[in-house]
Amino acid sequence: MTYRRSGPRDRTARQRDRVRSTTAHVTGLALMFISVGMLLSAVVEYVDGTSGTALLLATVVTAVLGTMLWRSTRPGVLDHATIFTAVGTTWLVASAFGALPYLFAGTFAVAGRPWAVVLADALFESISGYSCTGSTVFGGHNLIGDQGSGVLLYRQLTQWAGGMGIVVLVVTVLPSLRASGLGLIDAEAPGMGVDRLAPRVRDTATRFWKLYAGLTALIAVGLLAAGMGPFDAIAHSLTTASTGGFSTRDASIGHWDSLGVELVLVVAMVLGAANFTLHWRSLSLKRVVHFRDHEFRGYLAILGLGTLLVTGMLTMDGMGIGRALRMAVFNVVTLGTSSGFGNATGAESSGDFVRWAAGPQMILLFLMVFGGCTGSTAGGVKVMRLRVGMADAYRTLRAFRRPRALYPVWQGARTVPEAIVARIAGFMVVYGMLVVVGTMVVTALGTDLVTAVGGVIGALGNMGPALGEVGPTDSFVDGFSTPARMVLAVLMLVGRLEIFPMLLMLVAPYRSLRGAGRGGRS
Amino acid sequence: MIRTVLAGLRPTTVPGLRWSSRVTAGALALVAAAGMFSVLATASGLADLLGNGDDTVLLVTLGGLAGLASSIGFTRIRSAQRIRDADVLGGVTLCLLILIVMVGALHLLIGTTGSFVDALADATAGLTTTALGVLSPDAGDHAGRFLRAGSQWIGGFGGLMVAVAILPFFGAEREFADRSRLGGRRPLAPNRRTAVRNIVYLHGVVSVGTWVGFTLAGLGAFDALMVAMATVSTGGMVDGDPFASPAVQYVAIIGMAVTGTSLVVLWRLVVGRSRGLLRSVELRVYLGLLVSGTALFLLWTGGSGPDGIRRAAFTVTAAVTTTGFPSAPSGTWAAAAPVLLLGLVSIGPMTGSTGGGFQIMRHRALLQIALREMVRQLHPRVVSRVRLGGRVVAESTLSQIVVVQFLVVSVVFATATVVAAMGLDLATALGVAVHAISTGGPVRALDGALLDPTDWSAPVRLAILPAMVIGRLSIYPVMVAASSTVSVVRHRVRLRRRIRAYRGRTR
Repeated sequence: MTYRRSGPRDRTARQRDRVRSTTAHVTGLALMFISVGMLLSAVVEYVDGTSGTALLLATVVTAVLGTMLWRSTRPGVLDHATIFTAVGTTWLVASAFGALPYLFAGTFAVAGRPWAVVLADALFESISGYSCTGSTVFGGHNLIGDQGSGVLLYRQLTQWAGGMGIVVLVVTVLPSLRASGLGLIDAEAPGMGVDRLAPRVRDTATRFWKLYAGLTALIAVGLLAAGMGPFDAIAHSLTTASTGGFSTRDASIGHWDSLGVELVLVVAMVLGAANFTLHWRSLSLKRVVHFRDHEFRGYLAILGLGTLLVTGMLTMDGMGIGRALRMAVFNVVTLGTSSGFGNATGAESSGDFVRWAAGPQMILLFLMVFGGCTGSTAGGVKVMRLRVGMADAYRTLRAFRRPRALYPVWQGARTVPEAIVARIAGFMVVYGMLVVVGTMVVTALGTDLVTAVGGVIGALGNMGPALGEVGPTDSFVDGFSTPARMVLAVLMLVGRLEIFPMLLMLVAPYRSLRGAGRGGRS
Repeated sequence: MIRTVLAGLRPTTVPGLRWSSRVTAGALALVAAAGMFSVLATASGLADLLGNGDDTVLLVTLGGLAGLASSIGFTRIRSAQRIRDADVLGGVTLCLLILIVMVGALHLLIGTTGSFVDALADATAGLTTTALGVLSPDAGDHAGRFLRAGSQWIGGFGGLMVAVAILPFFGAEREFADRSRLGGRRPLAPNRRTAVRNIVYLHGVVSVGTWVGFTLAGLGAFDALMVAMATVSTGGMVDGDPFASPAVQYVAIIGMAVTGTSLVVLWRLVVGRSRGLLRSVELRVYLGLLVSGTALFLLWTGGSGPDGIRRAAFTVTAAVTTTGFPSAPSGTWAAAAPVLLLGLVSIGPMTGSTGGGFQIMRHRALLQIALREMVRQLHPRVVSRVRLGGRVVAESTLSQIVVVQFLVVSVVFATATVVAAMGLDLATALGVAVHAISTGGPVRALDGALLDPTDWSAPVRLAILPAMVIGRLSIYPVMVAASSTVSVVRHRVRLRRRIRAYRGRTR
C-alpha cells in the first residue's frame, strides 16, 4: 500500500472542492468561537458543583455544526451585498445557537408555559446578550439568583463577545479575507466606519480585541478593589466593557448598594462608550488624547448636562442633593452609554428611574436615543451623528440668510465630506422611521405608549431597560407580549448592526436565487 | 398678502433715506399684523351686534384705529433696496407674534377671560390653528366666539400663505409648489402675486361651501359660521358640542377631508385639470390614510355599524387633517388606538393644505431618502435621484426636509422635556408636544379620554406656545428668525471680544 503525503497542491485541490460561501464560512467560524464561551461556562458550572450537562451539550452541538460549516466552505466574493449577508446571517445564527444553553438547561421552562414562549424567551435572552442590549426575561418566577454560575457566566460572555463583535473576532483569525475583512468589520462596528489601527486589517482587529480584553481586566480589578466578589467582578467587567448591562443579581448593581462599585462602573462605562481608537492612541503615545477629540468632549458635555438637569429635577422633587447626585450620575451614565445597569435597591427605591417624575425620564429617553461615541461598544445614534446633524441644520438655516454662500459642516478643524453628511442624514431618517414603525407595531401588540416608545428606543439603541412598565430591574415578560418581545429582539439586532446589514442581508441570497432562476451565474 | 404689500411699496428716490432690509421687514410685519387685527376686531364687533352688542363700540373703535395706524404706517415705510429672504421669513414670524399679542389683549379687553396667560394661550392656539384652546366663551358672547373662530380662520389662511406663497419662493421645497406653465397649464402659484390671489379665492370658496353645508345640516347661521371657520382652518376650537347630530358630523368629515387636500388638487379641479388627478401618489396616500386609519380605529375601539363607522371616520379625519375636533371615546379603546391617532396627527394631511403635521409629501421624501440610502449601502458610487410626482427633487430640498425632521424631533423632545419637568406625566408630555408642533389636538390619555388643557398649570400652557408657532409656520421662518436674532445679538454684544478686552485691561 502506498502512502502519499498531502502536499500544498492537494490542499489547494481540497479547498477547491469546498462550496464557495463567505457567509457560511464566517458563520461556521463564529459558531466555533461562541462554543468556546459555552465550554468555559460548562467548566465553571462543573467547578461550582452543579451539572453542566446542558451547557456541554450546547457546546458540542454548536461546535460540531460550526466546524462542519467552516470545513465544508471557503470564502467567495466579498462585494457589499455579500458583506451585509455574511454579517447579518452570522449574528442571526449565532443568536439562535446562543439560545441553546437556555433551552437545554430549561432555564425558561416554567410549568404551564407553552414551548413557543419558552423558545421565544431563550431567543430573546440570547439576542439581548449578543447585541449588548441587556433587556432580560428573567424575573418574577424565574429569578437570576436561582441560576447556576455557569449559565450566569454564559449570559455575561454573550455580551462580551457581542461587544467588540463576533465578526471582528472572526477576522482576527481568517487570513483569507485579507483587505475585504475591513468591510466586514465596518458593517458590524458601531459608528461611521473603522479607523485602522494597523496597516493590516487582521492586525487592526487583533489590536481592538487586545484593547478590549485589557479594559475588561482593568474593570475586573477595579470592581474587586471596590468590594465585589471575584466571580461577580469578572462577570460584571465582561458586561461593562461591552456596555451590555447584564448582571448576576436580580437587583443588578443595586444589590451591592455601594458607592465605590458605582463609581468604578461609571468610569468604566464612560471608557467603554468612548472611541477605542482614542484608547489605542493614548496607549501608544503614552498620553491622554481623549480630550482633543471633539466627539468625546461633546459626549462628556451631554453626560454632564444630563447629570446636572436630572440632579436638579430630583432635588426639586424632594430627594436629598447627595442622593440625587448619586442616582443622577449613575443612571445618566448607564443609559447615556447604552449599558443599562440599575442601581435600584428595590422596586420602590430611589434608583428605580421609572418611579421618578416625568422630567428626568424625558432626559433619560434623550440619552437613550443618542448613546455613546462612534467606534465604541455603545449603541444608539452616536454623538458624532448628533453633532453632524446639528451642524447640518444650522448651515441650512444660515443658507436662508445667505443663499449663495457655501457652508461646509465642520467637525473640529476638519470639514465633513458631503457624502458622509448625506449618509448620516439617511441613517437618521431610517432610524427615526424604525422608531415610529416599531412603536406602532409594539402598541398594536398590546403595549402602552410609554412602555412601547421606551422599549423600541431601548432595543434599537441596545440600551436594556426601558420606561413605563419595564424599569431597570423589571422583566420584559411583564411589559411586553411574546410577539412584542420578538419584535424588540429583531430591533436589537438591527440596532446592534447599525441598521443596514440586517435590512439588506437578504439581498445576496435573493440575487443568487434570481440568477439561478434565469439560468445565469449564481 | 405679504407679496401684495411688498408689491405696493415704492422705493424712495432718496437713497440715504432707505431703511435697512431688517427694519423694512419688521415694519411691514407690524403693519400687516395691525391690518389683520383691524379686520378681526371690526368683524368681531359687528358680530357682537347679533347678541347684546356691549362690546361692539370698543371692538369697532379698536379695529378702526388699528386700520388707520396700519394705513398710515404702510405709507410711511421706506422700502429697502432689496428685502432679504431671511428678513421676509423673520417678518412673517414677527407678524404672527404681534398678532398673537394683539388678539390676546383683545380677549382681556372684552372680558372673555381675566387671565393674561389664558388669553395669550388661547390667542396662540387660535392663530396657530391648534385645538388646545383654554377659553370657553358663553353662547351669548358673540364677540368672543367670533374672535376665536376668526383667529383660527386667519391662522389657517396664514398657514396656506406661508406654505404655498412664501416658503417655495424663498428656496424651501420649491418643487412642491404648482408653478409650471408648461402645456398651457394654469398653475396655482406661477408667481407670488397670482398665488396669493388664487389662495384667497380657493380659501373663500371652501369656507363659504362649508358654511352652507353646516347650515343645511341644521346648525344656526352663526353657529354654522363658527364651525365652518374652525373646519376650513383646521383649527378645531368650537364652543359647546355642535357635532351631536350625525348630519353635522358628515358635513364636518367632508369639510375636513377637503381642507386637508392640497390646494393644488383643489385648484386643478376648479380650472378643469382634473384628468389623472388620482394618479397623484400623495392624494392616494392621503385617501388611503383616511380609509385605513378609520378601519384600524374601528378595529381597536370595537366600533361597528353605520354610527360606529361615522364616529371613527370623524375622529380619524380630525386627526389626519390636524383639525382636532373633540370626540369623546365610546367603548373600550385598545392601547394602540390613541397611538394611532397620535401617529396620524404627526403625519398630517397633504402638503399645500391648511393642516399641520409633517405632511405626506415630506414623509414620502423621507421614505425615498431611506430607500436611496439602502441602495447606496450596496452601491456606494451610484448616482441616484429622488423623484416625487414625476419630478426630480433637488438635493438641497431633500437636505431641507431631513433638517425639518431633525428640527421637529428636537422641538418635540425639548417641549416634552419642559412640560414633563413642569408636572405632566410622560405620555401626556409626549402627546402635548406632538400635538403642539403638528398644530393638532385634542390630547388624549392612554385610554382615549380627552384631556382638558385648562387642567394644566399656567407654565405648561405657556411652554407649549413656541411649539405651536413653530409648527404653524412650517419650522423655517421661526428658526431663521431665531438664528438671525441670535446672530444680531451676538454681533451687537460681541461678548468674546469684550471678555478679551476686559482681560487685557485687568492685566
